[in-house]
This record gives sequence, C-alpha cells and structure tokens, in this order.
Amino acid sequence: METTKQDRGQDRWISRGAPYILGTLVLLVTPLFLDTYGQGLMTRFLIFALFAMSFNIVFGYAGLMSLGHAAFFGAGGYTVALLKLHYDVNLFWISAPLGIVVATLVAAIFGIIALRASGIYFLLVTFALGQMLYSLAWNVKWLNSKGMQGITGITLPDLGIPGFTLNTIWFYYLALIFFLLSCVLLYRLVISPFGLALVGIREGEPRMEAVGYNTWYLKYASFVVSGAFAGLAGVLFAYYNFFVSPNHLGIATSFLPMVMTIMGGGGTFFGPVVGAAVFIFVENFASILSPQRWPLVLGALFVLTIMFAREGIGVYLWRLWTRWGPNYGSVKN
Amino acid sequence: MEALRIKALSKQFGGVDAVNDVSFTVNVGERLAIIGPNGAGKTTLFNLINGQLAPTAGRIHFFGQDVTSLPPHRRAHLGQARAFQVISLLQKLTVLQNTLLTINGTEPHRFDMFRPVKKFENVLQKAADTLKGLDLWEKQDEPVINLSYGEQRRLEIGLGLSMDPKLFLLDEPSAGLTKEESAEIIDIIKNLRTNITVLIVDHDMDMVFEVAERILVLHYGQLIADGDPDQIQADQKVREIYMGVEDAVDYAETA
Repeated sequence: METTKQDRGQDRWISRGAPYILGTLVLLVTPLFLDTYGQGLMTRFLIFALFAMSFNIVFGYAGLMSLGHAAFFGAGGYTVALLKLHYDVNLFWISAPLGIVVATLVAAIFGIIALRASGIYFLLVTFALGQMLYSLAWNVKWLNSKGMQGITGITLPDLGIPGFTLNTIWFYYLALIFFLLSCVLLYRLVISPFGLALVGIREGEPRMEAVGYNTWYLKYASFVVSGAFAGLAGVLFAYYNFFVSPNHLGIATSFLPMVMTIMGGGGTFFGPVVGAAVFIFVENFASILSPQRWPLVLGALFVLTIMFAREGIGVYLWRLWTRWGPNYGSVKN
Repeated sequence: MEALRIKALSKQFGGVDAVNDVSFTVNVGERLAIIGPNGAGKTTLFNLINGQLAPTAGRIHFFGQDVTSLPPHRRAHLGQARAFQVISLLQKLTVLQNTLLTINGTEPHRFDMFRPVKKFENVLQKAADTLKGLDLWEKQDEPVINLSYGEQRRLEIGLGLSMDPKLFLLDEPSAGLTKEESAEIIDIIKNLRTNITVLIVDHDMDMVFEVAERILVLHYGQLIADGDPDQIQADQKVREIYMGVEDAVDYAETA
C-alpha cells in the first residue's frame, strides 16, 4: 500500500515535472537560433509572463479582482528610467533593487486603501489608484523627458563587469535568470501554507476567518508580494523597451496580465505563462499580418478561449498532457 | 468555572431587535441548547458570540476575557470553534485541503510562505488521524462538493473538533439529515470530552432533548426561559409561545 502510493507519486512527479523541464530547455536554447528581433520578442514574453504570474497570485489564488496592477509594474519601470534620466545611474544592481523596493512600497500603500473594499469595489479602487499614478506621470515635469510624455534614453543595464556590455541576447538570459528565480519563489509560495490559505480565501473567506486566519493580513501580504514581482517585471521592461510612458502605469497595461491570466488559466501556476506566450506571439504575428487590425485577432482568440477552454488554454493543454481530471487549486498542481 | 458570560447583549438591524438584552452564563463542560421559532435570533446570537457580527450593546466574556470586539480569527485562537448552519466547507477544494486549512488555522506557521504544506509532518499526521476518525480518509482527494450531505456535516463538525476547541458552537447540526445521520451526529456530540463546552441551536427536538443539559428559549430576540429539559417542557410560557405549534408539543411529550 505504502509503496504503491510512493510509486504513483514518483510517476506523477515525472509526468508533471516534464513540461517544466521541457519548457526551461526551450527557453534556454531557442534564442541561440533567433535573430535579435526574435530574441527581443522572447524577452518580452518572459517579462509579461512574470508580470502575469505576479498578478495571478492576487487574482487567481486569492481571488481579488485587481485592475491596477500596472501601477507596480510602472513604478518599477519609472524607477529605472528616472535613475537614468536624473542621476545617470544605470548600474543594474542599484536600479533593479530600488525598482522592486519602490513597487513594493506603492503596493503596500495601495493595498491598505484598496483592501478596505471588496469585490467590484476593490476592482474600482485599484483601477482608480492606477489611474492616479497615470495622471501624475502625465502632469509632473520631473517624471518626463524634456518635451515629451514619458522617459526615453533608457539603455540596457550596466552589470558592473569591466569590459562587458550587455547585448540583446545577454539581456535575454539576464531576464531568464530572474524569470526562473521568480518561478521558483512563486511556486514555493503557492504550495506553502500561505498559498493554500489564499486559495481558501478565494473559496470561502468567512470560514477562513472562523478557523483562525486573519484574512485581511493574508490578502494584504499577497498584494504586496505580488506588487514586488510586478515591479521586477517593470524593471526588466524598462530596459527591454528603452522607453516608459504613463500608459505603463494605467489601465491599458493593467489589462494585459488579466487577459493573459484568464486566457492561460487563473489559479494555476503555469496558466499565466501559457497565456502570456499565446498573447505575445499572437500579438506579434497578427500585427505583422495586419498592422491596423491585430487587436481583432487577439479579441477573437480571447472570446474563443472563453467559449471553448473556459478554464484557460494552459489548463486545457495540461489536461491533454496528464489526462488527470479537474484541477482545483494550488496544492495539487 | 465560567466558559462564557453574556451580559445585556443586543443587536439591532435597522429598527429590528434581532437580539434584545440577552444575559446568561455557561459553565465549562455544559451542554446548552438554544431553541426558539424561526427568526427568534438564534443564529444572530451565534454570530455575536463567534464574532461574525458586532453587538449594538452588551459584553461577551470568554473564559474571563472580554472578547466583545475581537474578530472571529482571534476568537478561534482563544478556543472557539463553530459548525455553521449552511455548510461552510470550501466546496471546490478536496477533503484533505479543507482539513489542512482548518488545522493550520490555529498554528503559527499558517503564514509560512517558504515551506511546502506537505513538509509539515505533524499537521499531515493530525489530518490523517482526523479523517480516519471521521471515516473519510479514503475520500481525502475528493472535492468536498462530491461528498454526500451527511458526510459534509460530519466533516464540518469533525474539523471543528480538530481545532481542539474549548467552546463548540453548533448551528443546526442535524438540519437536512436523515434519522440515521442525525443519530450519528448526536453520538458524536454525546461523546465529546467533558471539558468542551457545547452550544447547540436546533429545531430537531429529539436532538435537543437528547443532548442538552440545559435549554434557553429565545423569542423575538428575548430570552424567555432558561432551565433543564424537564423545566422547559413544563414551562407554560414556552408551551404557549414556542411549542404552541402542535407538532412541537407532540415532539416535546414524546421526547
């Protein structure tokens, strides 16, 4: 009895671990065969996959509908940009941690305000707070390059290694390191008692209160942690994009992780990554085919997903892989 | 020793007095039932005791400590557990996940972000013991929604007990159960350790008269009677107001 259980566990580990290993290998090797454009596209994918994963902690696991997540993403990006613009600091080891710290602080403040509300009101408050940063970025001179909206002139970061300058592919690998590191940390979080408690809150907050959880604290902590990872994504984005604009703080950007997470499968660990992959690559090819109408293609894809793979493309693919039956949250993934 | 002291407790919703100036004390280990017609304020009283609602006036002392303004999770840590009238189990999560969540709730590691749930051997062991005791071990990987209603009741009550409560609040534990399932629940309650104080709200008079040592009667939010089952059956006011319903009289007399 005991051994069969263990065997089954090991089998399961292999069948479940394989897609992750395969995915990592693809991410490691593919860029070597791509041109700079393709490498850039893959960097973009990593950044948004990370952004969507951070969003998923709050949205998919804790069940909080946040529509202001770009605030943390943008805060990370603007920190990098402002350091370059005003202080000529481009050292990665200064800009990146500062970007994460600023994003975390913004999340810590916004969380206190937004978590006074719940449900649809939480969504509206997060939306309003994000838009507040957006309009701040529009109107405060210090937050813009001379004579324009947004900050230009960002370059790839300096790693502080003498005689070494980053190029596109090295930056990809830098982003990959942080992406994989974040995956490990977020995965640990999701399978921890904390992660399970978040799922509990999503499924029934009153019960969680009654059995001893301070649910406010849990939601707040998840919001702040999520903000930190969104900040990291924003930092990488600023370097990748060479340019940040108020749009990267507002609703237009807040929508992206939500769409990616829903498309890929919210509340599952891998879902947002799949969603981001589909989104970024479809966006790219559709915009090549039809520079004007590419959002139509994405919109159609989104509708099709909702109609035919409601739980997300990621979940759908995963089922094809394991044929394991329904997926109910964090612990079993 | 006093487990619970309710002093002049009131709760108003708009202009309605759901609970109106209720006072009573419960001793440690006592089995107390609260009965009353629908809308008498029984569940509201439970919500006040367990902290889901804040009272309009009055105080609640739990083992000598004033808990009137404490949130539910703090009261859980002090030793209150509750089985809800509408089953509160997390329906989409598995039996095991529900069990782990309940056990973790009063453990200091419940906020741990870095160690996998499955590495807490003592919690897993306790979950296994709990589920085996409830005869639900084989169904540990089933989502709760797949369990029968009786099994869900059993699990909800069993999980409440796995919190090692000092005070156990049972809100209509036999609602919607068959006679046999009801008898099972009665058995569980009768076999509880004597240091657990039990408060029961129920419509099932078999259950109430079988289990309770003392009965409180609520009517429109007011406490109108307090005594042992014989006294309550004999009480003229209770007969008129509550058991005036003929079925109830039959119940009371045959019980």
